[in-house]
Amino acid sequence: MARRVQIQLVILFFLLTPGLQGQLDPSNVLVSYSFDDQELATGPDTFAVFQKARGSVQMTTLVRFSGYRSLEIRDVADDGDFPELQGYFKLRSSGKLYLHFALMTASPFDELNIALAGPEWFSLKKNGIGFWLKTREGNLYQYSDSMPKKLLPMDAFVWYGLDVAYNISAGTYGLTIYKEGQEKPLVTLQQQANAPNQPGSAIDKFSFIGDTAEDKSNVTYYVDDVVVGTDEQIAQLPFVAPGRRKLFVDYWNESQRDSRGKPVPLDIVDLSDLGVGLKEVEALKTDGVWESLLQMAAGQTVQSMSSHASSDSSRVLQAVSLWSNGCEALRRGEAAAALGNFEKAESLLPAGKIYGMNAVLSLAALGRWQDVDSRLSAIYAEWQNDLRFPAALAMIGLARQDLELAEQWLRPHAEPVPDEIGLELIRRLRGGPLSASLLDEVRRQFPESWQDVVRDAWVAEQYFFVLLWKGQAAEGQQFARRMANRYQSLGIPNSKWMERMGDAAFFQSNFTEALDHYESSLSGTNNPGILVKLSDVHFRLGDLEKERHYREKVYGSLRQK
Amino acid sequence: MIHNWNRLTVAFLAAACLCLSAYAAPIEPKTVGALIAQGKTAEVKALGPGVLPVMVRLYESSDEAQRTRIAETFCQLGWKSPEAKRVLMKDVHTNNQYLRLQVQWALGRVSNDTDVVDVLLENMGNDANPLFRDKAACALAYDQIHLSEKQKVRLYEGLIHALSDPKLDVRRIALQALSIHTGQTKGFNPEAQVAVRENSIQQWKRWLEEYKSNL
Repeated sequence: MARRVQIQLVILFFLLTPGLQGQLDPSNVLVSYSFDDQELATGPDTFAVFQKARGSVQMTTLVRFSGYRSLEIRDVADDGDFPELQGYFKLRSSGKLYLHFALMTASPFDELNIALAGPEWFSLKKNGIGFWLKTREGNLYQYSDSMPKKLLPMDAFVWYGLDVAYNISAGTYGLTIYKEGQEKPLVTLQQQANAPNQPGSAIDKFSFIGDTAEDKSNVTYYVDDVVVGTDEQIAQLPFVAPGRRKLFVDYWNESQRDSRGKPVPLDIVDLSDLGVGLKEVEALKTDGVWESLLQMAAGQTVQSMSSHASSDSSRVLQAVSLWSNGCEALRRGEAAAALGNFEKAESLLPAGKIYGMNAVLSLAALGRWQDVDSRLSAIYAEWQNDLRFPAALAMIGLARQDLELAEQWLRPHAEPVPDEIGLELIRRLRGGPLSASLLDEVRRQFPESWQDVVRDAWVAEQYFFVLLWKGQAAEGQQFARRMANRYQSLGIPNSKWMERMGDAAFFQSNFTEALDHYESSLSGTNNPGILVKLSDVHFRLGDLEKERHYREKVYGSLRQK
Repeated sequence: MIHNWNRLTVAFLAAACLCLSAYAAPIEPKTVGALIAQGKTAEVKALGPGVLPVMVRLYESSDEAQRTRIAETFCQLGWKSPEAKRVLMKDVHTNNQYLRLQVQWALGRVSNDTDVVDVLLENMGNDANPLFRDKAACALAYDQIHLSEKQKVRLYEGLIHALSDPKLDVRRIALQALSIHTGQTKGFNPEAQVAVRENSIQQWKRWLEEYKSNL
């Protein structure tokens, strides 16, 4: 039963990964979404997102097949609708079409549906659904010749790579399915009748949704690396290939490329960065301003907005608008204006952690170092395991002076560990996570010199990242080793500097040494930042079992949902 | 812009409705009757599934005109209800044209019981009135929204069996219903000679066996 719903926009980020770009002729690629990096507006030539009811379609960094984001589709039973990503491409009514994507479900017993369809939309008829996959009772099914046919039992939280070679003229397709960590495909089928068994059934769209029937699905699943095109090589793209998986250092490299040595605002990776949680989303939808929020979050101008929004929704919209203006101002070099916007946004929506960090980056651009140090200390705890944090520290370190002066300025402070290190407070400041309460204690203990004390704690870390930023990883590793040894001799926990030694080794492609340092740094804890790096280093060493072991330690919270 | 997945349900059982109905004041039959009489289905829906027993009682005490409107409302709500099925089944052979059509359309939207499919197949094949036969086929094609893939076996068996019916219109509407469900005709021509038709029917039977083997 076709029902009209309003398109909802969502922040989506699209770009061919360099690995794919190198292998395919772009003119043969109709669609390619890796859900990383760049923004693209929704529209009739790209895609639409439907999330009218309680379900959602959004980017997530929790799991990803490649890069650092994937698309999460979350359905909610009995809410009267289903979430959907619907993508469009030029109508193909003959020849062959290739579809490549990665799929992971958190709940195999909840229904999901994936389809290629034509002008007759998602009905079983010629020019309607051509290719159709669905899950039922823990298994993945294909819908071929108007009937469901079982393909394989699905494991939760395991990536599956799917390649479809769809022969439009013949009305048949070949299907290959890989399972993460296994070289040989689990499914290899040829000459399968398309969904309605109709030769010449045209195709111009694809869809990822929850359930279509009884509205009983609570599925949460993830999609990544969607490629649709006419190039046969699309069906031969590797499921796991060296260099395709984006590691923590890749985010660093991209930030380095984008900032060009000047502080720029950090990107958001999901709406929670802006302080927009489920409660706010529901309120925005109820007030009819959800679309406006998403347009603002995507950096688009909002032409008109409902004047009937509740005060809570208006506050959220105002904060996000200020943040968006602040980002533009900082990129233009208008740091004072940017700072004002970020500070106002933070006061309106304190739960959004991006406002505070971008305010610090604005302060760095203004050279207000005492404010940088104190405010950075206050937000350290919520940022310390964020993959964007090292890049932020490096930008701040570089901004203290120009590239050469930064090192000269930092070295006198960075090299010597202060003699007064015996003080318990300074031990905590250097050895443990910074927090607002610790900062208050430092202020009380050192009313005259607290800013110097804080700066000393920060400078070493910023100096380290400046060295990495300048490509001097060996010097960075040497510095981190001296810091770790000095800390140890003074009885200060040195796990942070063990981790930095691992970072520097990783940057030098010395993965075995990086592994040793990360394991030493972890020392019985479950620090998610180090677990991600252990996963990455095992991936680089080719040990996919351990890569998954550490990755699942981070994603364990997802299993509990 | 359209979702346009061929969703076979209108089960708008929002959690909010469930919560509201749990704590709301008792639903007044008079109010429900008035809303139905005015065609205000959205407002009936807003009352939540708690309205179903009220509608059933109203149905049992109403004249044919009001029963027609109530059946139409059951159809639009699309909520499963054994009680609704029970009362609707009493009118599934009525000669009141308006009531019959609404009842035939509503049954598949309140129930996925086997006897609903059976009675609609029976009406499609054997009712004396061609209009009722045609609309029973419509109900089998579009309104069996709660049937699982396993439960559809009985529906497909009945429709494929009807391809051999001596009445041309029954063969035609059975094929239409099959085509709506599967997107295929297997080359069946309702007007062709028996031997030609039999060839397509055998294809449909092989298809059904494969369908069953995949369940």
